[in-house]
Amino acid sequence: MYVELHARSAFSFLEGGSVPEELAGGCATHGMRSMALLDRDGLYGSPRFHLAMKKLGLQAHIGAEITCAEGGRLALLAGSREGYQNLCRLVTRMKLRSQKGQGAIQLSEAAECNGGLICLSGGDEGWFAHVLERDGVKPAAQCLSQLSAAFGQDNLYVELQRHFRRDQECRNQVAVELARQLHLPLLATNGVCYAAPEQRQILDVFSCLRNHRVLANAGKLLSTNSERYLKTPAQMAALFADLPEAIANTCELSSRLSYTMKDLGYQFPVYRTPDGESQMEFLRARASEGALHRYGSHNEKANRQIQKELALIEKLQLAGYFLIVWDIVRFCREKNILVQGRGSAANSAVCYSLGITAVDPVGMDLLFERFLSEERGEWPDIDLDLPSGEQRERAIQYVYERFGKLGAAMCANVITYRGKSAAREIGKVLSFDPETLDRLSCLVGAWEYTDSNDTLTRQFRDAGLDLKQHRIWKFFELCQKIQDLPRHLGQHSGGMVICQGQLDSIVPLEPATMPGRVVVQWDKEDCADMGIIKVDLLGLGMMAVLEDTLRLIRDHHHEEIDIGSLPPDDPAVYSALQQADTIGLFQVESRAQMSCLPRLRPKYFYDIVVQVAIIRPGPIVGKMVHPYLNRRLGREPIETLHPSLESTLARTLGVPLFQEQLLRMAMIAAGFTGGEAEELRRAFGFKRSEARMKDVEIKLRRGMDLKGITGETQDKIIHSITSFALYGFPESHAASFALLAYASGYLKHHYLAAFTAAMLNNQPMGFYNPATLIKDAQRHGLRFKPIDVMRSHWDCTLEEDTDGFRVRVGLRYVKGLRKETGIAIAEQRERWPWVSIDDLKQRVPQIHIDELRVLAAIGALNFISKDKTFHRRDALWQVESASRNVGPLIAAHIGKNKQTESEPASPLKAMTPKERVFADFHGTGLTVGPHPLAQYRQQLAKQGIAPVSRLKQMPDGKAVSVVGAVIVRQRPGTAKGFVFLSLEDETGVANVIITPQLFEQDHRVVVHHSFLRIQGRLQNQDGVVSVKARQIEPFHLADAEVASHDFH
Amino acid sequence: MMFGAIFVPDFLLQAAGRADAGLRNRPMVLIDGHGPNFHVVATNRLAAHLGVRLGMTKAAAAEFAGVELIARHKDLETSAHDALLDAAWSFSPKVEDTAVDTVLLDLAGLATLFGSCENLALQIKSRCRALGLDVHVAISANPETARILACAKPGPTLVPDGTEASVLKPLAVDLLAPSEELLGVFRQWGIATCGALAALPVLSLSEGVGQEGVRLHSIAGGQGQRALLLAEHRNIFEESLELDDAVEELEPLSFLLGRLLDQLCARLSARALAIRSIQLQLELLTAFEKAFDTRRELLRKRPVSETFECSLALPRPVQDPKLLLKLLRLRLQSNPPKAPIQKLRMRAEPDRPVALQSGLFLPTAPDPDKLELTLARLSSIAGESNVGFPELLGSHRPDAMRMQKFLVSSVVPSNHKKTDDSKIGFRVIRPPWPANVTLQDGRPVQITFRGQTWKVVQASGPWRSSGEWWEENPWKEDAWDLELRSAGGKSPAAAVYCTVFDALQQKWFVRGSYD
Repeated sequence: MYVELHARSAFSFLEGGSVPEELAGGCATHGMRSMALLDRDGLYGSPRFHLAMKKLGLQAHIGAEITCAEGGRLALLAGSREGYQNLCRLVTRMKLRSQKGQGAIQLSEAAECNGGLICLSGGDEGWFAHVLERDGVKPAAQCLSQLSAAFGQDNLYVELQRHFRRDQECRNQVAVELARQLHLPLLATNGVCYAAPEQRQILDVFSCLRNHRVLANAGKLLSTNSERYLKTPAQMAALFADLPEAIANTCELSSRLSYTMKDLGYQFPVYRTPDGESQMEFLRARASEGALHRYGSHNEKANRQIQKELALIEKLQLAGYFLIVWDIVRFCREKNILVQGRGSAANSAVCYSLGITAVDPVGMDLLFERFLSEERGEWPDIDLDLPSGEQRERAIQYVYERFGKLGAAMCANVITYRGKSAAREIGKVLSFDPETLDRLSCLVGAWEYTDSNDTLTRQFRDAGLDLKQHRIWKFFELCQKIQDLPRHLGQHSGGMVICQGQLDSIVPLEPATMPGRVVVQWDKEDCADMGIIKVDLLGLGMMAVLEDTLRLIRDHHHEEIDIGSLPPDDPAVYSALQQADTIGLFQVESRAQMSCLPRLRPKYFYDIVVQVAIIRPGPIVGKMVHPYLNRRLGREPIETLHPSLESTLARTLGVPLFQEQLLRMAMIAAGFTGGEAEELRRAFGFKRSEARMKDVEIKLRRGMDLKGITGETQDKIIHSITSFALYGFPESHAASFALLAYASGYLKHHYLAAFTAAMLNNQPMGFYNPATLIKDAQRHGLRFKPIDVMRSHWDCTLEEDTDGFRVRVGLRYVKGLRKETGIAIAEQRERWPWVSIDDLKQRVPQIHIDELRVLAAIGALNFISKDKTFHRRDALWQVESASRNVGPLIAAHIGKNKQTESEPASPLKAMTPKERVFADFHGTGLTVGPHPLAQYRQQLAKQGIAPVSRLKQMPDGKAVSVVGAVIVRQRPGTAKGFVFLSLEDETGVANVIITPQLFEQDHRVVVHHSFLRIQGRLQNQDGVVSVKARQIEPFHLADAEVASHDFH
Repeated sequence: MMFGAIFVPDFLLQAAGRADAGLRNRPMVLIDGHGPNFHVVATNRLAAHLGVRLGMTKAAAAEFAGVELIARHKDLETSAHDALLDAAWSFSPKVEDTAVDTVLLDLAGLATLFGSCENLALQIKSRCRALGLDVHVAISANPETARILACAKPGPTLVPDGTEASVLKPLAVDLLAPSEELLGVFRQWGIATCGALAALPVLSLSEGVGQEGVRLHSIAGGQGQRALLLAEHRNIFEESLELDDAVEELEPLSFLLGRLLDQLCARLSARALAIRSIQLQLELLTAFEKAFDTRRELLRKRPVSETFECSLALPRPVQDPKLLLKLLRLRLQSNPPKAPIQKLRMRAEPDRPVALQSGLFLPTAPDPDKLELTLARLSSIAGESNVGFPELLGSHRPDAMRMQKFLVSSVVPSNHKKTDDSKIGFRVIRPPWPANVTLQDGRPVQITFRGQTWKVVQASGPWRSSGEWWEENPWKEDAWDLELRSAGGKSPAAAVYCTVFDALQQKWFVRGSYD
């Protein structure tokens, strides 16, 4: 028998052509009982390899090829847990002291951590081969002696590989001779780089990418032949027929490698209680305190639920985990960092009591088992939303401080080859000219939507290339082959793993690109699979907005608002939601949400939860939106897919909308166990391959067949479940988001000035640009004050007037003004107000002339002068002379005391209103003055063009014309090629629907023009108003260019 | 004192279309840039009317039906600029090379030669048209006013003395050619015309925008008097043509050569010169694969086009483009370029024309270098790719080599000893001999080639190699090193051969023998 003990996967990043699952599959097919994976400089592919082998009932040996400072690589195998830990430490040590993607270890370092490690002399890349080729036989013999001394005579194997190459056979002969002299065992391996011979082509492509060559000139960097595939034991035995001991030793060594990754030795940190009480006692006390605050003292139902949860937490010994998350939340509260748990944690009353989440699961009757179940036997998943930016970074740094540098790290994010990146890389390697490549990549995914014919075949034809040509066909073939193969390692957006003590002995760590960050070598799925607990600290722009809004309310209204204790049924919020007046609101501001809101007409909080969840690709593709809305409006009867699912779907009128419902459906209809349902859930969010979803579908069908659910009903259930693969929300997650949506609505309605200022200070975020946010707020009665160097701060601020608060636009909106300059302007002004432009120039010496010019052009310098007639061009005139430093002599001669006086007015004419609008948009991207279209209203009225606000009063089907600035262009993947525009005029925003045919015809006009005139048919149904375009023309408004948010 | 200004509107487009008058009547855009950033740098009015805008990507411009996309070539612009200077020098020796599209002329004393200013202006336009350029001409008492008016109006424009300020008043301030920064300032100030600028107080202007502002203020007020910076005469006469689609046949090539010769002769005759000799350089289009080079220093370079050169020395200076074309055709017929031509460059050595004809004109045979002649003869017999020295390519493909041209090395060979201590030499058999091989347990035991059968004493292999799978003709083979002994004879001969089994052809060959 033979065991392959030296294989690399695609997780060696450009040095392997197969994913670990393919290697494991090959191992099973060939009847090998075990196999070793040795990726380059890490254990990146090990969890997937381990799990794949485990699933097949095989044993995965773990190892790595580690770059050796002396040259070449050391091939190390973990013989025991100690060996595994040493391997992790060695890789970590090497990585943390080097630049990303570099690093090497000294042999002496390896010798220090040699416990439990087995060393192979390696193949072509090994240190031995390197020394033999460079220095000859004697140094090579010394090399083996050094390895033997470093790892022990019994732990070194002289590796032989046979790929039918003369040079390799020469090396083998020397190796055999030296092994006999030094009494070292021989070991046959195939140095596997891919599972099947045809995957050699992938490896050749990767070799080119690694070496920045193209195939045509890569020469000897490419493989000599295709022999580095996973061979059968019989093939290997035949190859080494003259050296049978080399084959026999593979089994002997395999039996010595007792370690499997089942035994990682991971421990979640212990929370140290202040008074020495147990973690559970401490958790009970905190939960009771919290419950009293959240539910009061007489809520029996809540108390029962909390006690039930605590009992399970105690049984599963998870008290420490809850306390640590609680501790992070406590830290955030202390530092005034807004924090809210989301995800399945919102199903837990204990989390609610501890202040981790803000949604009451008892009141909402959420399913606790979705969060924590005894059957699943895995760690619960708690995600914390934090304000994006500095505040989130503070929380992350707290975790690092709390658990030490080797106790916490970010999860990795494995970046894989996808359509566009695959095409570009393959195209380069095959020497396609840049223009063709560019054309191809422009065609791939330029918009989110691709129709059924938009395949690579069509792209080739469009690019004038013939798929029948050999090289073109290879391109096509390779593009598909490298899909989903790992490309490089990134950093997960917020997932942190923490550990009791030495995380570097559990998984290798390496530096992230971002300074001060360390990442583990596994992505979050792998961490979860390996039982490593993770806490997601996610940045959310709306959290930052809410935090800023609360601060502004505190400072200006002198009121303290608690997001968790807002009045739950504020009629103003529901009224705004029902009228789709939701610009700036979290999750419900998109065009699609707006067109759904008047139909759904939310009346209660749960309606918002549904609203947040329903406009998702999952329910849309699953065709669940219209049935739900129709049932809600009483237009169709409430029917369930199958009688057995009635109780599960009752809350959502028989239509599955939430992930939990889908899981429950799988359990009821297909007899899935809790564990299988969990696998289904993982498959939903699994981006690695579609194969996993296919497996699940087969299982579902089999299960339903057994339960007698067949035919159309079965198909419908399958469609409902699988369409969630395109993403759907869990109910608890939707509830957490709905709370933020409600809070944003509440704050917008009651504290519009503070909310708008906070929104403007946290851009870019959301669906609309600042200009649109300002116009929307103005339509709601808020008044803005322009940027003024005498009043504006860097951020937008509130100023109180006799009739309420106004928003003073901050210097951050001045295009080209550096932050340090803006802050210096505000600081210096606080000391002494500016008396002239020269004064400003002299006291803020770092200000550039361009910065002064733009400030003058937008009118921000107008108020420096005491002269009421002083206008923007006067300021522009003065800015030029202020920027030229004249000596004191000339200054005296021209008789000006620049520190104290403003200069006389200029000979220039004041800007016209149109010029001012243009200058505003040019200098700030927005205007607090009238909308650019307001000046054209009379002219438009004469042409029969209605203001947008009038559309609501017009009947369905009427022919209308509208003119507006395009503020959003969207072509969602779920809309079958339809394009949606949001068109803004001075009275509001209109939705425009463009058919694929019309878009094809007027593509350039739609994409390139800022202002459009649309003629079409009005659709006014159930309060949802839109214009179905029939003719699109550009509207020429020379003075302003409005930026749009394009989603494609 | 009068000054003339010649301005070439849409210079980039005119330069690109100078050799093809038909292009001017079609929507045409010029594309420039590298890699994915190809973009439109110039459009003619017809293309602009269709909606093509400057800065558009090439792909976007290509979507407009009927629009001719032309790649920008700097050589063509240089030639057009030279032609503009030639036209100016044909009228006045005092010429300022103001900009790539503008020249100024001192017209003092030309009245006796060319008549009135109107007449002179018309002659300038006509001369330029003969050189393939449609130009604007203006004449004024100060050069700046002439320059601005030439830019602004097709003309011919004649500015009566003393009316400069009023003529300039409505013209856009951009025509003063301020720096980009100053133009931005003028725009922000709302200063759109020369008149508006001239009306600003000059002292305050000086304080604000410095001397450049003062200078432009003065020009805008019609005070642009200054001395010309005279350009030195150049005797470089070069024309080039880069083709979107390479030409292979001599017939279309002759047509293109004729165009270049017409342009050169027109330029030379404008300067009262003739052609003494012509150097023709043709850039040939070679396939990527043929051009790739695995030598380390060349690895990162794009494939280089090969060039084909030919020169024509004339016994006496000639101005007749037809005659020159016939001579060039004769030359190319005898030694045609071996690949399609993608670029033509023609350079003429000027000389003063001979006043008298002294007998029948006969083209003189060139006097080629003897080595080149020998090599050319060898090449014609053995083929171009079979002359030179062999160079091994860095590829796993067995026997991958190519022929390099003979080079005269400037490096003196050092006297170092040969360090290669290998004892075995390998004689490559080209082309390899077909062979029949008998296998036993997958190993060769007997081989027959060239009519002789050999027993295999010892076999080493297989040495497997394969590659170039992305090409139409990949290779895949197993090589065996065989120690052979002849099957018959009393004292059998022994030899060691390398034999290969071509897995794609399913055939055996003998590749070579070991010494």
